[in-house]
Amino acid sequence: MNRNEGSAPVATTHTPSTASAPAMTSRPRGAGTGTTFTRWLGIVTLASMAAVALFGLVLSPEDVVQGESVRILYVHVGTVWVAYLAFVVTAVSSAAYLWRRTHSLTWDRIAGASAEIGVLFMAVTLLTGSLWGRLSWGTFWVWDARVTTTAFLFITYVGYLAVRGLGGSHEQRARRSAVVALLAVIEIPLVHFSVKLWRSVHQDASVAGRTTDVTLDGLMLFTLLLATVAFTLLYVWYVLHRQRVMTMEDALDDKGLDLALAERRREAATNGVSNGAPSATGEVTN
Amino acid sequence: MDDLGFILLSYAAAFGGAAALVWQVLRRGRALGAELPDEDKPWI
Amino acid sequence: MAGGATSVWATARLVAAKDLRVERRSRVVVNQVLPFAALVMVLFAFALDADAVLERTAPGLVWLGTIFSLLIVVQRSFAIETADGALDALRVAGVSPPGIFLGKSFALAVQLFVLEVLLVLLAIVLYESELDAAGAVLLVTTLVPATTGLAFVGTLYGGLAAGTRGRETLLPLLLFPVVAPVLIGATRATEAALGAGGAATDEGWPWVGMLVIFAALFGVGGTLAFGPLVEE
Repeated sequence: MNRNEGSAPVATTHTPSTASAPAMTSRPRGAGTGTTFTRWLGIVTLASMAAVALFGLVLSPEDVVQGESVRILYVHVGTVWVAYLAFVVTAVSSAAYLWRRTHSLTWDRIAGASAEIGVLFMAVTLLTGSLWGRLSWGTFWVWDARVTTTAFLFITYVGYLAVRGLGGSHEQRARRSAVVALLAVIEIPLVHFSVKLWRSVHQDASVAGRTTDVTLDGLMLFTLLLATVAFTLLYVWYVLHRQRVMTMEDALDDKGLDLALAERRREAATNGVSNGAPSATGEVTN
Repeated sequence: MDDLGFILLSYAAAFGGAAALVWQVLRRGRALGAELPDEDKPWI
Repeated sequence: MAGGATSVWATARLVAAKDLRVERRSRVVVNQVLPFAALVMVLFAFALDADAVLERTAPGLVWLGTIFSLLIVVQRSFAIETADGALDALRVAGVSPPGIFLGKSFALAVQLFVLEVLLVLLAIVLYESELDAAGAVLLVTTLVPATTGLAFVGTLYGGLAAGTRGRETLLPLLLFPVVAPVLIGATRATEAALGAGGAATDEGWPWVGMLVIFAALFGVGGTLAFGPLVEE
Protein backbone atom coordinates (compact mmCIF):
# COMPACT_ATOMS: atom_id res chain seq x y z
CA MET A 1 0.00 0.00 0.00
CA ASN A 2 2.63 2.42 1.15
CA ARG A 3 4.85 1.53 -1.75
CA ASN A 4 1.95 1.84 -4.15
CA GLU A 5 1.08 5.32 -3.03
CA GLY A 6 4.69 6.32 -3.16
CA SER A 7 5.09 5.14 -6.72
CA ALA A 8 1.98 6.82 -8.10
CA PRO A 9 3.35 10.37 -8.43
CA VAL A 10 6.61 8.97 -9.80
CA ALA A 11 4.72 7.29 -12.60
CA THR A 12 2.84 10.39 -13.64
CA THR A 13 5.98 12.48 -13.81
CA HIS A 14 7.88 9.62 -15.37
CA THR A 15 5.66 8.85 -18.34
CA PRO A 16 5.96 12.17 -20.19
CA SER A 17 9.73 12.23 -19.72
CA THR A 18 10.26 8.87 -21.42
CA ALA A 19 7.47 9.36 -23.94
CA SER A 20 10.02 10.98 -26.18
CA ALA A 21 12.09 7.79 -26.13
CA PRO A 22 11.24 5.65 -29.19
CA ALA A 23 11.16 2.37 -27.25
CA MET A 24 8.27 3.55 -25.13
CA THR A 25 6.09 5.03 -27.85
CA SER A 26 6.42 2.02 -30.11
CA ARG A 27 5.29 -0.33 -27.37
CA PRO A 28 2.60 1.34 -25.27
CA ARG A 29 0.97 -1.85 -24.02
CA GLY A 30 3.46 -2.44 -21.15
CA ALA A 31 3.98 -6.16 -20.71
CA GLY A 32 3.19 -7.78 -17.34
CA THR A 33 5.02 -10.57 -15.59
CA GLY A 34 3.82 -13.42 -17.79
CA THR A 35 5.83 -15.29 -20.40
CA THR A 36 4.89 -18.22 -22.58
CA PHE A 37 6.46 -20.58 -20.09
CA THR A 38 4.68 -19.19 -17.04
CA ARG A 39 1.38 -19.13 -18.93
CA TRP A 40 1.66 -22.83 -19.67
CA LEU A 41 2.83 -23.46 -16.14
CA GLY A 42 -0.18 -21.53 -14.89
CA ILE A 43 -2.57 -23.62 -16.95
CA VAL A 44 -1.01 -26.87 -15.75
CA THR A 45 -1.11 -25.61 -12.15
CA LEU A 46 -4.73 -24.61 -12.41
CA ALA A 47 -5.67 -27.99 -13.88
CA SER A 48 -3.78 -29.93 -11.23
CA MET A 49 -5.25 -27.84 -8.43
CA ALA A 50 -8.71 -28.58 -9.75
CA ALA A 51 -7.76 -32.26 -9.86
CA VAL A 52 -6.65 -32.07 -6.21
CA ALA A 53 -10.06 -30.73 -5.20
CA LEU A 54 -11.81 -33.36 -7.27
CA PHE A 55 -9.75 -36.32 -6.05
CA GLY A 56 -9.38 -35.04 -2.50
CA LEU A 57 -13.03 -34.23 -1.89
CA VAL A 58 -14.89 -36.61 -4.15
CA LEU A 59 -13.05 -39.46 -5.82
CA SER A 60 -10.76 -40.73 -3.08
CA PRO A 61 -12.33 -43.13 -0.57
CA GLU A 62 -12.64 -42.48 3.14
CA ASP A 63 -10.12 -44.05 5.46
CA VAL A 64 -11.10 -47.18 7.38
CA VAL A 65 -9.86 -45.71 10.65
CA GLN A 66 -10.00 -41.96 10.19
CA GLY A 67 -13.10 -41.70 8.09
CA GLU A 68 -13.60 -38.52 6.10
CA SER A 69 -11.03 -36.52 8.04
CA VAL A 70 -8.24 -38.07 5.98
CA ARG A 71 -9.25 -35.65 3.21
CA ILE A 72 -7.72 -32.80 5.20
CA LEU A 73 -4.37 -34.56 5.03
CA TYR A 74 -4.09 -34.13 1.26
CA VAL A 75 -4.08 -30.35 1.63
CA HIS A 76 -2.05 -30.52 4.81
CA VAL A 77 0.77 -32.60 3.37
CA GLY A 78 0.85 -30.62 0.12
CA THR A 79 1.15 -27.29 1.91
CA VAL A 80 3.60 -28.41 4.57
CA TRP A 81 5.91 -29.79 1.90
CA VAL A 82 5.82 -26.52 -0.04
CA ALA A 83 6.22 -24.47 3.13
CA TYR A 84 9.39 -26.29 4.15
CA LEU A 85 10.65 -26.28 0.56
CA ALA A 86 10.06 -22.51 0.47
CA PHE A 87 12.14 -21.94 3.59
CA VAL A 88 14.97 -24.11 2.29
CA VAL A 89 14.95 -22.12 -0.94
CA THR A 90 14.91 -18.86 1.03
CA ALA A 91 17.90 -19.96 3.09
CA VAL A 92 19.86 -21.23 0.09
CA SER A 93 19.25 -18.17 -2.05
CA SER A 94 20.07 -15.92 0.91
CA ALA A 95 23.38 -17.73 1.23
CA ALA A 96 23.88 -17.40 -2.52
CA TYR A 97 23.27 -13.67 -2.30
CA LEU A 98 25.81 -13.20 0.47
CA TRP A 99 28.55 -15.44 -0.89
CA ARG A 100 28.37 -14.96 -4.64
CA ARG A 101 30.77 -12.27 -5.73
CA THR A 102 28.16 -10.51 -7.85
CA HIS A 103 25.70 -10.00 -4.94
CA SER A 104 22.93 -10.30 -7.49
CA LEU A 105 19.61 -8.96 -6.19
CA THR A 106 17.87 -11.77 -8.08
CA TRP A 107 18.87 -14.14 -5.28
CA ASP A 108 17.41 -11.75 -2.75
CA ARG A 109 14.16 -11.47 -4.68
CA ILE A 110 13.84 -15.23 -5.01
CA ALA A 111 14.40 -15.51 -1.26
CA GLY A 112 11.71 -12.93 -0.56
CA ALA A 113 9.16 -14.34 -2.99
CA SER A 114 9.75 -17.82 -1.65
CA ALA A 115 9.29 -16.69 1.96
CA GLU A 116 6.01 -14.96 1.12
CA ILE A 117 4.34 -18.06 -0.23
CA GLY A 118 6.03 -20.13 2.45
CA VAL A 119 4.43 -18.03 5.18
CA LEU A 120 1.00 -18.41 3.62
CA PHE A 121 1.36 -22.15 3.27
CA MET A 122 2.76 -22.47 6.77
CA ALA A 123 -0.35 -20.72 8.07
CA VAL A 124 -2.54 -23.10 6.06
CA THR A 125 -0.48 -26.03 7.35
CA LEU A 126 -0.98 -24.99 10.98
CA LEU A 127 -4.69 -24.46 10.42
CA THR A 128 -5.32 -27.72 8.57
CA GLY A 129 -3.07 -29.58 11.00
CA SER A 130 -5.00 -28.40 14.04
CA LEU A 131 -8.34 -29.10 12.37
CA TRP A 132 -7.19 -32.60 11.52
CA GLY A 133 -5.78 -33.02 15.02
CA ARG A 134 -9.11 -32.02 16.52
CA LEU A 135 -10.87 -34.71 14.47
CA SER A 136 -8.42 -37.53 15.02
CA TRP A 137 -6.76 -36.76 18.38
CA GLY A 138 -9.58 -34.72 19.87
CA THR A 139 -7.33 -31.70 20.39
CA PHE A 140 -6.40 -28.69 18.29
CA TRP A 141 -2.87 -28.40 19.55
CA VAL A 142 -0.18 -30.71 20.93
CA TRP A 143 3.16 -29.55 22.34
CA ASP A 144 4.97 -31.89 20.04
CA ALA A 145 8.39 -30.87 18.72
CA ARG A 146 7.29 -30.98 15.10
CA VAL A 147 4.19 -28.90 15.62
CA THR A 148 5.92 -26.36 17.85
CA THR A 149 8.86 -26.02 15.49
CA THR A 150 6.48 -25.40 12.60
CA ALA A 151 4.77 -22.65 14.57
CA PHE A 152 8.13 -21.06 15.35
CA LEU A 153 9.18 -21.30 11.73
CA PHE A 154 6.01 -19.44 10.83
CA ILE A 155 6.62 -16.65 13.34
CA THR A 156 10.27 -16.39 12.36
CA TYR A 157 9.46 -15.90 8.70
CA VAL A 158 6.74 -13.39 9.51
CA GLY A 159 9.61 -11.53 11.18
CA TYR A 160 11.76 -12.09 8.10
CA LEU A 161 9.12 -10.45 5.90
CA ALA A 162 8.92 -7.57 8.38
CA VAL A 163 12.70 -7.12 8.06
CA ARG A 164 12.34 -7.01 4.27
CA GLY A 165 9.88 -4.16 4.69
CA LEU A 166 12.21 -2.08 6.86
CA GLY A 167 13.30 0.20 4.03
CA GLY A 168 16.75 1.44 3.16
CA SER A 169 18.58 0.63 -0.05
CA HIS A 170 17.96 -2.57 -1.98
CA GLU A 171 21.37 -3.86 -0.97
CA GLN A 172 20.66 -3.09 2.67
CA ARG A 173 17.37 -4.94 2.48
CA ALA A 174 19.04 -7.89 0.77
CA ARG A 175 21.88 -8.12 3.27
CA ARG A 176 19.71 -7.70 6.35
CA SER A 177 17.12 -10.22 5.27
CA ALA A 178 19.73 -12.71 4.08
CA VAL A 179 21.37 -12.63 7.51
CA VAL A 180 17.99 -13.09 9.22
CA ALA A 181 17.20 -16.05 6.96
CA LEU A 182 20.53 -17.68 7.75
CA LEU A 183 20.12 -17.06 11.49
CA ALA A 184 16.81 -18.90 11.23
CA VAL A 185 18.79 -21.89 10.03
CA ILE A 186 20.60 -21.85 13.40
CA GLU A 187 17.48 -21.03 15.37
CA ILE A 188 15.01 -23.59 14.07
CA PRO A 189 17.02 -26.76 14.87
CA LEU A 190 17.69 -25.37 18.36
CA VAL A 191 13.99 -24.77 18.91
CA HIS A 192 13.21 -28.25 17.64
CA PHE A 193 15.88 -29.82 19.82
CA SER A 194 14.88 -27.95 22.96
CA VAL A 195 11.17 -28.67 22.57
CA LYS A 196 11.96 -32.32 21.93
CA LEU A 197 14.12 -32.54 25.04
CA TRP A 198 11.50 -30.68 27.05
CA ARG A 199 8.66 -33.00 25.99
CA SER A 200 10.73 -36.13 26.51
CA VAL A 201 11.38 -35.05 30.10
CA HIS A 202 7.67 -34.69 30.67
CA GLN A 203 7.03 -38.10 29.14
CA ASP A 204 3.68 -37.19 27.73
CA ALA A 205 2.04 -39.57 25.34
CA SER A 206 3.80 -38.70 22.12
CA VAL A 207 1.92 -37.89 18.99
CA ALA A 208 3.43 -40.89 17.32
CA GLY A 209 1.87 -43.11 19.96
CA ARG A 210 -1.55 -41.63 19.40
CA THR A 211 -1.38 -41.45 15.64
CA THR A 212 -4.06 -43.49 14.07
CA ASP A 213 -2.18 -45.49 11.50
CA VAL A 214 -3.02 -44.51 8.00
CA THR A 215 -3.13 -47.36 5.56
CA LEU A 216 -3.11 -45.64 2.21
CA ASP A 217 -4.73 -47.43 -0.65
CA GLY A 218 -3.72 -46.69 -4.23
CA LEU A 219 -6.10 -43.85 -4.91
CA MET A 220 -5.29 -42.13 -1.62
CA LEU A 221 -1.59 -42.32 -2.30
CA PHE A 222 -2.19 -40.93 -5.77
CA THR A 223 -4.18 -38.01 -4.36
CA LEU A 224 -1.44 -37.28 -1.87
CA LEU A 225 1.17 -37.23 -4.64
CA LEU A 226 -1.07 -35.15 -6.85
CA ALA A 227 -1.52 -32.57 -4.11
CA THR A 228 2.23 -32.39 -3.52
CA VAL A 229 2.90 -31.86 -7.23
CA ALA A 230 0.09 -29.32 -7.63
CA PHE A 231 1.19 -27.19 -4.70
CA THR A 232 4.80 -27.36 -5.86
CA LEU A 233 3.79 -26.13 -9.33
CA LEU A 234 1.87 -23.31 -7.71
CA TYR A 235 4.95 -22.45 -5.68
CA VAL A 236 7.19 -22.29 -8.75
CA TRP A 237 4.64 -20.19 -10.62
CA TYR A 238 4.30 -17.75 -7.73
CA VAL A 239 8.02 -17.35 -7.13
CA LEU A 240 8.62 -16.65 -10.84
CA HIS A 241 5.93 -13.99 -10.99
CA ARG A 242 6.60 -12.41 -7.62
CA GLN A 243 10.29 -12.19 -8.30
CA ARG A 244 9.52 -10.32 -11.54
CA VAL A 245 7.15 -7.99 -9.71
CA MET A 246 9.90 -7.29 -7.18
CA THR A 247 12.33 -6.54 -10.02
CA MET A 248 9.90 -3.94 -11.32
CA GLU A 249 9.29 -2.52 -7.86
CA ASP A 250 13.03 -2.07 -7.39
CA ALA A 251 13.43 -0.57 -10.87
CA LEU A 252 10.62 1.87 -10.14
CA ASP A 253 12.23 2.76 -6.83
CA ASP A 254 15.53 3.49 -8.57
CA LYS A 255 13.77 5.55 -11.23
CA GLY A 256 11.92 7.48 -8.54
CA LEU A 257 15.23 8.20 -6.87
CA ASP A 258 16.86 9.32 -10.13
CA LEU A 259 13.87 11.50 -10.87
CA ALA A 260 13.93 13.10 -7.45
CA LEU A 261 17.63 13.80 -7.85
CA ALA A 262 17.12 15.32 -11.30
CA GLU A 263 14.29 17.43 -9.94
CA ARG A 264 16.51 18.62 -7.16
CA ARG A 265 19.33 19.53 -9.49
CA ARG A 266 16.93 21.42 -11.73
CA GLU A 267 15.56 23.31 -8.76
CA ALA A 268 19.00 24.03 -7.48
CA ALA A 269 19.93 25.41 -10.90
CA THR A 270 16.88 27.67 -11.14
CA ASN A 271 17.03 28.82 -7.55
CA GLY A 272 20.80 29.07 -7.63
CA VAL A 273 20.76 32.87 -7.62
CA SER A 274 18.54 33.28 -4.57
CA ASN A 275 19.80 31.13 -1.71
CA GLY A 276 17.59 29.87 1.09
CA ALA A 277 14.77 28.59 -1.12
CA PRO A 278 16.46 25.35 -2.27
CA SER A 279 16.71 23.88 1.21
CA ALA A 280 12.97 24.16 1.77
CA THR A 281 12.00 22.62 -1.57
CA GLY A 282 14.72 20.05 -1.21
CA GLU A 283 13.14 18.71 1.93
CA VAL A 284 9.73 18.49 0.32
CA THR A 285 10.95 16.40 -2.60
CA ASN A 286 12.86 14.22 -0.24
CA MET B 1 -21.69 -34.66 9.58
CA ASP B 2 -19.34 -32.95 11.97
CA ASP B 3 -16.19 -33.47 9.90
CA LEU B 4 -17.54 -31.77 6.81
CA GLY B 5 -17.16 -28.25 8.13
CA PHE B 6 -13.54 -28.86 9.08
CA ILE B 7 -12.73 -30.46 5.74
CA LEU B 8 -14.31 -27.66 3.74
CA LEU B 9 -12.59 -25.05 5.91
CA SER B 10 -9.23 -26.71 5.20
CA TYR B 11 -9.76 -26.70 1.46
CA ALA B 12 -11.15 -23.17 1.51
CA ALA B 13 -8.09 -21.92 3.41
CA ALA B 14 -5.61 -23.59 1.09
CA PHE B 15 -7.29 -22.77 -2.20
CA GLY B 16 -8.60 -19.39 -1.12
CA GLY B 17 -5.24 -18.30 0.27
CA ALA B 18 -3.45 -19.41 -2.86
CA ALA B 19 -6.00 -17.69 -5.09
CA ALA B 20 -5.68 -14.46 -3.16
CA LEU B 21 -1.89 -14.54 -3.48
CA VAL B 22 -2.06 -15.31 -7.21
CA TRP B 23 -4.61 -12.60 -7.86
CA GLN B 24 -2.55 -10.06 -5.95
CA VAL B 25 0.71 -10.80 -7.75
CA LEU B 26 -0.96 -10.74 -11.18
CA ARG B 27 -2.67 -7.43 -10.47
CA ARG B 28 0.51 -5.86 -9.15
CA GLY B 29 2.46 -7.23 -12.11
CA ARG B 30 0.02 -5.71 -14.60
CA ALA B 31 -0.01 -2.36 -12.82
CA LEU B 32 3.77 -2.13 -12.65
CA GLY B 33 4.20 -3.56 -16.13
CA ALA B 34 2.10 -0.75 -17.54
CA GLU B 35 4.24 1.86 -15.83
CA LEU B 36 7.63 0.53 -16.78
CA PRO B 37 9.23 0.27 -20.20
CA ASP B 38 10.12 -3.23 -21.37
CA GLU B 39 13.87 -2.58 -20.98
CA ASP B 40 13.32 -2.97 -17.24
CA LYS B 41 11.89 -6.46 -17.69
CA PRO B 42 14.72 -8.91 -18.23
CA TRP B 43 12.37 -11.87 -18.68
CA ILE B 44 10.92 -10.54 -21.95
CA MET C 1 39.82 -5.22 10.30
CA ALA C 2 43.32 -5.60 8.96
CA GLY C 3 44.65 -5.76 12.49
CA GLY C 4 43.37 -9.30 12.93
CA ALA C 5 42.51 -10.99 16.18
CA THR C 6 44.24 -8.56 18.53
CA SER C 7 42.30 -5.58 17.20
CA VAL C 8 39.03 -7.49 17.57
CA TRP C 9 39.70 -8.12 21.25
CA ALA C 10 41.00 -4.62 21.82
CA THR C 11 37.88 -3.20 20.20
CA ALA C 12 35.66 -5.50 22.20
CA ARG C 13 37.29 -4.39 25.44
CA LEU C 14 36.96 -0.72 24.54
CA VAL C 15 33.31 -1.04 23.49
CA ALA C 16 32.41 -3.06 26.58
CA ALA C 17 34.17 -0.59 28.86
CA LYS C 18 32.41 2.31 27.14
CA ASP C 19 28.96 0.72 27.48
CA LEU C 20 29.51 -0.12 31.14
CA ARG C 21 30.82 3.39 31.78
CA VAL C 22 27.71 4.87 30.16
CA GLU C 23 25.61 2.68 32.44
CA ARG C 24 27.62 3.57 35.53
CA ARG C 25 27.07 7.26 34.86
CA SER C 26 23.44 7.17 33.70
CA ARG C 27 22.24 4.28 35.92
CA VAL C 28 19.36 3.59 33.57
CA VAL C 29 19.50 -0.17 34.10
CA VAL C 30 19.84 0.14 37.87
CA ASN C 31 17.22 2.85 38.29
CA GLN C 32 14.69 1.76 35.67
CA VAL C 33 15.17 -1.78 34.38
CA LEU C 34 15.78 -3.47 37.74
CA PRO C 35 12.66 -1.89 39.26
CA PHE C 36 10.73 -2.90 36.15
CA ALA C 37 11.89 -6.52 36.51
CA ALA C 38 10.97 -6.53 40.20
CA LEU C 39 7.57 -5.09 39.33
CA VAL C 40 7.00 -7.85 36.80
CA MET C 41 7.70 -10.42 39.51
CA VAL C 42 5.12 -8.79 41.76
CA LEU C 43 2.60 -8.66 38.92
CA PHE C 44 3.12 -12.38 38.30
CA ALA C 45 2.28 -12.98 41.95
CA PHE C 46 -0.92 -10.95 41.59
CA ALA C 47 -1.89 -12.87 38.47
CA LEU C 48 -1.12 -16.36 39.76
CA ASP C 49 -2.28 -15.80 43.34
CA ALA C 50 -1.88 -19.20 45.02
CA ASP C 51 1.41 -19.81 46.84
CA ALA C 52 1.79 -23.37 45.60
CA VAL C 53 1.47 -22.25 41.99
CA LEU C 54 4.06 -19.52 42.49
CA GLU C 55 6.55 -21.86 44.09
CA ARG C 56 6.07 -24.29 41.22
CA THR C 57 6.33 -21.70 38.44
CA ALA C 58 9.01 -19.48 40.01
CA PRO C 59 11.82 -20.61 37.62
CA GLY C 60 9.73 -19.87 34.55
CA LEU C 61 8.71 -16.48 35.94
CA VAL C 62 12.35 -15.60 36.65
CA TRP C 63 13.25 -16.25 33.02
CA LEU C 64 10.18 -14.55 31.62
CA GLY C 65 11.12 -11.52 33.68
CA THR C 66 14.65 -11.75 32.32
CA ILE C 67 13.50 -11.93 28.70
CA PHE C 68 11.14 -8.98 29.03
CA SER C 69 13.95 -7.01 30.61
CA LEU C 70 16.36 -8.17 27.90
CA LEU C 71 14.21 -6.38 25.36
CA ILE C 72 14.48 -3.12 27.26
CA VAL C 73 18.20 -3.44 27.92
CA VAL C 74 18.92 -4.21 24.26
CA GLN C 75 16.92 -1.23 23.10
CA ARG C 76 18.77 0.93 25.60
CA SER C 77 22.11 -0.50 24.47
CA PHE C 78 21.51 0.52 20.86
CA ALA C 79 19.69 3.75 21.66
CA ILE C 80 22.96 5.11 23.03
CA GLU C 81 24.66 4.15 19.75
CA THR C 82 22.15 5.52 17.29
CA ALA C 83 21.14 8.64 19.20
CA ASP C 84 24.23 10.58 18.17
CA GLY C 85 25.24 8.40 15.24
CA ALA C 86 27.92 6.67 17.30
CA LEU C 87 27.46 3.39 15.42
CA ASP C 88 27.95 5.18 12.10
CA ALA C 89 31.04 6.89 13.46
CA LEU C 90 32.51 3.57 14.59
CA ARG C 91 31.77 2.04 11.23
CA VAL C 92 33.27 4.90 9.26
CA ALA C 93 36.35 4.78 11.46
CA GLY C 94 36.85 1.18 10.34
CA VAL C 95 36.37 -0.37 13.77
CA SER C 96 35.93 -4.12 13.37
CA PRO C 97 32.25 -5.16 13.56
CA PRO C 98 33.10 -8.44 15.36
CA GLY C 99 34.81 -6.35 18.02
CA ILE C 100 31.75 -4.14 18.41
CA PHE C 101 29.55 -7.23 18.59
CA LEU C 102 31.61 -8.97 21.25
CA GLY C 103 32.07 -5.80 23.28
CA LYS C 104 28.41 -4.90 23.32
CA SER C 105 27.47 -8.51 24.07
CA PHE C 106 29.82 -8.55 27.05
CA ALA C 107 28.42 -5.33 28.48
CA LEU C 108 24.90 -6.63 27.93
CA ALA C 109 25.76 -9.94 29.61
CA VAL C 110 27.11 -8.17 32.71
CA GLN C 111 23.94 -6.12 33.08
CA LEU C 112 21.73 -9.15 32.48
CA PHE C 113 23.63 -11.20 35.01
CA VAL C 114 23.01 -8.64 37.74
CA LEU C 115 19.37 -8.59 36.76
CA GLU C 116 19.02 -12.36 36.89
CA VAL C 117 20.64 -12.61 40.33
CA LEU C 118 18.15 -10.05 41.59
CA LEU C 119 15.24 -11.96 40.04
CA VAL C 120 16.34 -15.25 41.59
CA LEU C 121 16.63 -13.55 44.99
CA LEU C 122 13.17 -12.09 44.53
CA ALA C 123 11.81 -15.53 43.68
CA ILE C 124 13.29 -16.89 46.88
CA VAL C 125 11.82 -14.04 48.91
CA LEU C 126 8.44 -13.61 47.22
CA TYR C 127 7.65 -17.10 45.95
CA GLU C 128 9.23 -19.13 48.78
CA SER C 129 11.66 -20.94 46.49
CA GLU C 130 14.50 -22.79 48.20
CA LEU C 131 18.10 -23.14 47.15
CA ASP C 132 20.59 -25.66 48.56
CA ALA C 133 24.32 -25.90 47.87
CA ALA C 134 24.14 -28.34 44.95
CA GLY C 135 21.32 -26.27 43.50
CA ALA C 136 23.37 -23.11 43.80
CA VAL C 137 26.22 -24.66 41.80
CA LEU C 138 23.80 -25.71 39.08
CA LEU C 139 22.10 -22.32 39.12
CA VAL C 140 25.33 -20.37 38.65
CA THR C 141 26.43 -22.77 35.90
CA THR C 142 23.06 -22.22 34.21
CA LEU C 143 23.18 -18.46 34.50
CA VAL C 144 26.51 -18.12 32.69
CA PRO C 145 25.68 -19.77 29.33
CA ALA C 146 22.05 -18.62 29.41
CA THR C 147 23.11 -15.02 29.96
CA THR C 148 25.82 -15.24 27.31
CA GLY C 149 23.38 -16.68 24.78
CA LEU C 150 20.77 -14.02 25.52
CA ALA C 151 23.39 -11.29 25.24
CA PHE C 152 24.63 -12.57 21.85
CA VAL C 153 21.14 -12.86 20.41
CA GLY C 154 20.08 -9.52 21.89
CA THR C 155 23.09 -7.71 20.45
CA LEU C 156 22.64 -9.35 17.06
CA TYR C 157 18.98 -8.49 16.58
CA GLY C 158 19.34 -5.18 18.41
CA GLY C 159 22.02 -4.20 15.89
CA LEU C 160 19.77 -5.31 13.06
CA ALA C 161 16.84 -3.25 14.23
CA ALA C 162 18.92 -0.26 15.35
CA GLY C 163 18.18 2.93 13.48
CA THR C 164 15.23 1.53 11.54
CA ARG C 165 11.66 2.73 11.69
CA GLY C 166 9.38 0.65 13.89
CA ARG C 167 12.23 -1.08 15.75
CA GLU C 168 10.35 -1.04 19.05
CA THR C 169 7.73 -3.36 17.65
CA LEU C 170 9.96 -5.36 15.34
CA LEU C 171 12.57 -6.33 17.92
CA PRO C 172 10.33 -8.54 20.10
CA LEU C 173 8.94 -10.25 17.00
CA LEU C 174 12.46 -11.17 15.91
CA LEU C 175 13.97 -11.76 19.34
CA PHE C 176 11.40 -13.82 21.21
CA PRO C 177 11.23 -16.81 18.87
CA VAL C 178 15.02 -17.04 18.89
CA VAL C 179 15.34 -16.96 22.67
CA ALA C 180 12.68 -19.66 23.14
CA PRO C 181 15.29 -22.42 23.56
CA VAL C 182 16.94 -20.37 26.33
CA LEU C 183 13.58 -19.90 28.03
CA ILE C 184 12.91 -23.63 27.89
CA GLY C 185 16.43 -24.75 28.84
CA ALA C 186 17.15 -22.19 31.54
CA THR C 187 13.72 -22.68 33.10
CA ARG C 188 14.16 -26.45 33.31
CA ALA C 189 17.66 -26.11 34.74
CA THR C 190 16.47 -23.54 37.26
CA GLU C 191 13.57 -25.80 38.21
CA ALA C 192 16.10 -28.51 38.98
CA ALA C 193 18.26 -26.08 40.93
CA LEU C 194 15.38 -24.78 43.02
CA GLY C 195 13.71 -28.18 43.28
CA ALA C 196 10.48 -26.70 41.94
CA GLY C 197 7.81 -29.31 41.36
CA GLY C 198 9.99 -31.97 42.95
CA ALA C 199 12.67 -31.85 40.24
CA ALA C 200 16.02 -33.44 41.15
CA THR C 201 19.16 -31.35 40.84
CA ASP C 202 20.92 -33.61 38.34
CA GLU C 203 18.03 -33.30 35.89
CA GLY C 204 19.29 -29.81 35.14
CA TRP C 205 22.67 -30.62 33.66
CA PRO C 206 21.57 -31.72 30.16
CA TRP C 207 19.89 -28.32 29.84
CA VAL C 208 23.11 -26.56 30.73
CA GLY C 209 24.68 -28.43 27.82
CA MET C 210 22.00 -27.16 25.48
CA LEU C 211 22.47 -23.61 26.73
CA VAL C 212 26.20 -23.85 26.06
CA ILE C 213 25.51 -25.02 22.49
CA PHE C 214 23.07 -22.16 22.02
CA ALA C 215 25.54 -19.57 23.26
CA ALA C 216 28.36 -21.00 21.15
CA LEU C 217 26.32 -21.11 17.93
CA PHE C 218 24.99 -17.59 18.27
CA GLY C 219 28.37 -16.31 19.41
CA VAL C 220 29.99 -17.57 16.22
CA GLY C 221 27.00 -16.67 14.04
CA GLY C 222 26.77 -13.19 15.51
CA THR C 223 30.46 -12.48 15.13
CA LEU C 224 30.24 -13.39 11.45
CA ALA C 225 26.90 -11.73 10.76
CA PHE C 226 27.26 -8.45 12.61
CA GLY C 227 29.44 -6.88 9.92
CA PRO C 228 27.02 -7.40 7.02
CA LEU C 229 24.12 -6.35 9.26
CA VAL C 230 25.35 -2.92 10.28
CA GLU C 231 27.11 -2.07 7.00
CA GLU C 232 25.55 0.63 4.90
